[in-house]
Amino acid sequence: MVEFADLPPNIIEKLRNHRVTRSLRRRSRVFSDTTDFTAIDYGDIILVDGRYFLVTAYTKEGRFGVDDQIKPWVPRVEDLATGKRQILKLVFHETFDITFGPFTIPCYRNPEKEARVLELVKGHPHFMQGEAVLDEAGNLVRILEIIDGNRVDKVIHRSQSSHEEYFYEELPGILAHYLPCVKAIGFLHAHGFRHGDVRRDHIFVERNTGCYRWIDFDYDFYMPEKPFALDLYELGNTLMYLSARRNFYPRDILNDPNLGEEIADTIDPGDYSLLSKNRIANLQKIYPYIPTALNNIFLHFSLGTEVFYDTVDELHQDLASVVEQGW
Amino acid sequence: MNDWKKVLIAVDSTPTSDKGLEYAGKIIGKLSGVHVCLLHVYPEPPPDYYSSGKSLADYQKKQEADAAVLVEKCRNMLTGSGIRREAISRDVRMAEQKTISDTILDVQQHGEFGTVVVGRRGVSKAEEFLFGSISNALVHHARDCTVWVVG
Repeated sequence: MVEFADLPPNIIEKLRNHRVTRSLRRRSRVFSDTTDFTAIDYGDIILVDGRYFLVTAYTKEGRFGVDDQIKPWVPRVEDLATGKRQILKLVFHETFDITFGPFTIPCYRNPEKEARVLELVKGHPHFMQGEAVLDEAGNLVRILEIIDGNRVDKVIHRSQSSHEEYFYEELPGILAHYLPCVKAIGFLHAHGFRHGDVRRDHIFVERNTGCYRWIDFDYDFYMPEKPFALDLYELGNTLMYLSARRNFYPRDILNDPNLGEEIADTIDPGDYSLLSKNRIANLQKIYPYIPTALNNIFLHFSLGTEVFYDTVDELHQDLASVVEQGW
Repeated sequence: MNDWKKVLIAVDSTPTSDKGLEYAGKIIGKLSGVHVCLLHVYPEPPPDYYSSGKSLADYQKKQEADAAVLVEKCRNMLTGSGIRREAISRDVRMAEQKTISDTILDVQQHGEFGTVVVGRRGVSKAEEFLFGSISNALVHHARDCTVWVVG
């Protein structure tokens, strides 16, 4: 570990006057080895690539039904030399199973894969940007640019409009932004990579440009015969969520005074999602103004489907045609 | 169309693979001029394999050793059906940056096999979408050959 006294004078000066360190009752520690990331705390400094990153906060993420879990391996930092705010991702190898209906899929947190994806998507407008460097112990630290914006699933709930108003007034613009995001995942697949964790909260909407950008590429899974199926399925799920502005289960229909039993009774077994138990994919039965061409895309992800999308490009092609036609 | 008597049999350690082999043996066992290749394709190691400190060479060595036993068993089944031992070759390989079905089709194309035999275990729609079906992929994408899918 580098001693505090060994820090360059300009960095010590910045630390003295920094709001984070002023509130600390101890001296910041300097970590050039991030192996034990749990030892690194608020107000400490991570030294990588000759840069001094002050830990100012930690990122959070909702997962497995628990909201806002702190991710200690993903600190928010400030580059003390430049004052730039960034996010670091430290090496955390994790293996776990995710369940889809009756199936279990082994998943992995794979820092090396994320580093390679970051390299591939450098300059691509629909992916978060960053670089990977090695710390003193050889850990792959990813230095990420913060996207000035918000998660798409938060953005689409900003207006208090009814679904019908949302559908006619807002959704065409939302899908026009989502479309290149779908294509971007196809770009990854064409280069042999999976996103690995396609979810609606992994798309950020840039405040200034409105551009949608994917974040978090460190998940990976092992599906040798269908390496991209999970990404593809989650793209479909995200599309359905954006279109309905929510997920629908039978109880949601029954609880909604505008829908109720009359609509619930029309839901057939084939209308449910292929893999998410009881989630309704045939959204046209709930919102009859959803055009058939768009609903047909949803139905590719339903239990009743006879035809699957094999590639993201097929989904993109159908969605492009729907967006172009409009409604 | 390639010579149908050049037969590629994709094998693994499942009972459906054995069924495919038995069926193929019954059909071609007594014919002359038949050449059979027993093909075993295994997937790349899972992403966390290397974090245990093992190498790709370790993984391939283990796979090849297991495949040697499997292929020998399959060869014996075929010779039991009447196919001469010299008429049976073997090919064991990893599906590198490809799916298993694409690798089988590569071998079929390069070896100019006119018949491909594969077992079918029967999968649900959801299973097929998520995990794929090798037999379906072969039926959809095979060229210049017939595909025998044995269920």
